[in-house]
Amino acid sequence: MKTSRTDLLRGTLDMLILKTLSQGPLHGLGLSRQIGQVTEGAFQVKPGSLFPALHRMEQRGWIEGTWGESENKRRAKYYQLTAAGRRQLGQEHQNWTQVVLTIAKVMEAT
Amino acid sequence: MSPYRWIKSALQSLCRKAELDGELDEELRSVLTMIVEEKIRAGVAPADAVRQAKIEMGGVEQVKEEVRRERMGAGLDTLVQDVRFSLRALRRNAGLTAIAALILAIGIGANTALFGTVHAALLRSLPFPDPHRLVLAQKTRNGEVSGPVSRVDYFDYRDGGSSFQELAALPDFTVQHTVTGGGDPELVQASYVTWNLFPALGVAPVAGRGFLPAEEAGGSASTLLISHGYWQRRFGGTPEAVGSTLTLDGEAQTIVGIMPPGFRFLYDADLWRLVDRDGPIDTQRDSHSHYVVGRLAPGVTMEQAQDEMNAISEALAAQFPDSNTGKGLRLEDLHSFLVRDVRTSLLLLMGTTVLVLLIACGNVAGLLLARGERRQSEMAMRTALGASRARLLRQLLTESLILTVGAGLLGIGVAFLLQDVLLRLLPAGDLGIHPPSLSLTALAFTLLLSMATGLLVGTVPALRSSSMDPARQLRSESRASPSTRSTRLRSSLVVGQVALSVVLLIGSGLLIRSLARLSTVDLGFDSENLLTGQLQIQIPDYPTPEERNRFFASLQEEIGALPGVEGISLINKLPILSPWQDWAIWPVGEDPAPGERGLSAMARWVPPGYFETMGIPVLSGRDISRADGPGNPFVVVVSQSVVETLFPGADPIGRVVTIADWRDCEIVGVVEDARVNTIRGEPDATMYMSADQMAPARMQVAVRTAGTSELLIGPIQNLLRRKDPNVLFAWPRTMATLLEEDMVGFRTMILSLTLFSLTALLLAAIGIYGVLAYQVSQRKAELGLRLAIGASEGDLVRMILKRGMVLVTVGLALGLAVAYPGTLAVRQFLYQVQLLDTTTYLGAVFTLALVAAVACFLPARRASQGNVVDVLRTE
Repeated sequence: MKTSRTDLLRGTLDMLILKTLSQGPLHGLGLSRQIGQVTEGAFQVKPGSLFPALHRMEQRGWIEGTWGESENKRRAKYYQLTAAGRRQLGQEHQNWTQVVLTIAKVMEAT
Repeated sequence: MSPYRWIKSALQSLCRKAELDGELDEELRSVLTMIVEEKIRAGVAPADAVRQAKIEMGGVEQVKEEVRRERMGAGLDTLVQDVRFSLRALRRNAGLTAIAALILAIGIGANTALFGTVHAALLRSLPFPDPHRLVLAQKTRNGEVSGPVSRVDYFDYRDGGSSFQELAALPDFTVQHTVTGGGDPELVQASYVTWNLFPALGVAPVAGRGFLPAEEAGGSASTLLISHGYWQRRFGGTPEAVGSTLTLDGEAQTIVGIMPPGFRFLYDADLWRLVDRDGPIDTQRDSHSHYVVGRLAPGVTMEQAQDEMNAISEALAAQFPDSNTGKGLRLEDLHSFLVRDVRTSLLLLMGTTVLVLLIACGNVAGLLLARGERRQSEMAMRTALGASRARLLRQLLTESLILTVGAGLLGIGVAFLLQDVLLRLLPAGDLGIHPPSLSLTALAFTLLLSMATGLLVGTVPALRSSSMDPARQLRSESRASPSTRSTRLRSSLVVGQVALSVVLLIGSGLLIRSLARLSTVDLGFDSENLLTGQLQIQIPDYPTPEERNRFFASLQEEIGALPGVEGISLINKLPILSPWQDWAIWPVGEDPAPGERGLSAMARWVPPGYFETMGIPVLSGRDISRADGPGNPFVVVVSQSVVETLFPGADPIGRVVTIADWRDCEIVGVVEDARVNTIRGEPDATMYMSADQMAPARMQVAVRTAGTSELLIGPIQNLLRRKDPNVLFAWPRTMATLLEEDMVGFRTMILSLTLFSLTALLLAAIGIYGVLAYQVSQRKAELGLRLAIGASEGDLVRMILKRGMVLVTVGLALGLAVAYPGTLAVRQFLYQVQLLDTTTYLGAVFTLALVAAVACFLPARRASQGNVVDVLRTE
């Protein structure tokens, strides 16, 4: 059960992170909570998948991490979208829409 | 992502590893703090909040490891880390590492050396252009290959066929000529060839020109080509040599060309002369002495050429039914013909070294398994700290690969030592190819072999050590119970090693027995204190048979009078030194049917006294005498097996026989058979004609000496210099040396095989020892306890011994079961030894049992020496 959820996330986790960050910079925990809220708890992004994904995306230049101060005056690493990340988001969004439409067509065909 | 960015990131992850790791640490810590604060704000008690936050985070180390894996260049980083860690782990176990590396080095080294030799002899192609188009042809009788081709037939094949770009021929012997004029006379080795041999091989002279077709057709060509070596030796490499004259047996010959350095074909020749198309030697179709070598025309296959040759053979058979019925020509690849003698021994040795390596692998795999057992806690700890199974596997395999590649490097050293020995196996003379060397190919082979070995010995132990449940392992810190599965694995390795060793021991035992039989074989003549040499007189100086006979007779007397000489005789071809020359013989008037040949016997001619000097018993009749000269009735002395075949049960003395290449002769005596061609094989049927009736210009000498034979070389040479300075006493060697040379290839093969088998035995013994010693050390507590509750030391020794001997017995039984099919490979090398030789089997079993017993006893004794109190206290 655990694997199936990760698998579902694997393809889309990057996109979800990019989309969430496009609304403004967030730190790791904030990002996780935000995704949890928006999906009404459907996706619980665990640190074990979140941080590797963040690092991978940082190395690819889609997001950029800077150290800042949290709402509770704690030092935290904030991530924000770069120009390349915005392009990537556009592309992934487009692909996603395409996939959803295609699958919908198949499923609605009788 | 652009490659530039990838490289930059990869480099960053590598170089700024510590910095990145620190940052990651801090980030994870801050997240943890934030979760805790979140929980506290939600009303959870502080102590509980921390616990819940930790659960939510999961294993921090696992997260970190996951992140590291996502980094660019992570593979490279882990590799560096793996190698560093492996080196440390190997160093920590320096003793074990050294033993394992040494064991593998022997196995890998043996394989590298053999591979170098096999590569040079069997795999590398001949040093001629387009070597795959080169073929060699031999004659067949009723479909069976039966040696060289008739010279007359050859010219018909050459003139009648179109499948070959060139079809050349050369006799199956070389001829010695004396070079006179300009200093001391010199004996040179000449290879006779048809004009197109060099074009067929695709080799051109480096200076001057090759032979011309017109020179061959002309009959009495007086041109010759010299070897690069002879050019350097006699002419100091001066260009004027081309076009100059060389006096060969008194006849002036013109040097027209010089062959490239290192060029040789079949023989080590100083010079090449043309086969005389219309010359007096081998003028008959049933006299066969030429090898035919051809280069296929472009686009023609061997099958097409063979079909054409078959058609010509049929036409010849129809035209000359007496000589050519049932006769044919068989083409084969030139390379396979040249290596036919060494192929089997090399492949046999290669197979043996592979087995030795397998046994070595068994040992090292056993060592690694045992070490895996000891490192279980370490592995459990690393799993708990976030290492995945794949990561552990990689790490362990890296370790064994480093071990085996290191062993491979050592193995190259071993190979260098072995190569010297193996080189002697190759009759490099006959191959016309480079002597084996440790080429790049061989080194690449070593590297591949080392890596394959690493995977072979590493995989199972690595799979086993990385597959346990860390929680259980960490909880039970007991070292008292070795895992039974690993013990069973090691035990079966030992059984396999013992079985392989038995097969190798039996195989080499059979060969050693053959060698022993050979060294005590009755040659049929006395080879002690026998000095041999060759003599040639110049026909222009002694034109008549009488003059030649007189010269040899007086020389025989004068050498016989030298102090230290007990006897002397002459013969056209001495046993072992000059084999073959078989002629057909049958009772007069009983000519063989067409297509049959009669009995083949070795043709020799001797003066009176040959049998006495050589120690060959005369069974009936008389020796050749001085009265059997030119003009008197032709006589022959035959050996026992000629009589048994031609005149079974009858008295042969006085009967007349027809000797195909000579004439009708009367049998005057019968002597014992002797080994004329080679030590291996049966005594040969031989006929001895009277040397005086043959009146040859060339003879070989056998001098029986009282003491050291070599001391007579000087006096004989001085005597000849006084008697006739143009006659040489050439290539003086003792019969003992000749016999040694005849055996050297066989002996070297057996020595190498025995060496490998003993290595295998030693490795198997180490394997047995290792398994038992390990068990004893693992069961120390149990053994101590047994002692404490009253077992005697003898009981413990017996218990461990029994364990070991059970393994050995199973291995022995397995080995004996496969020994017969396994040793079929050596059958063709056996000499007067049966494949199922009881002595060999008993010897092998006994040797192995003895060695195994020692290997078992050492750890068994240690088992009984444990100190009860010590052992119980450490538990």
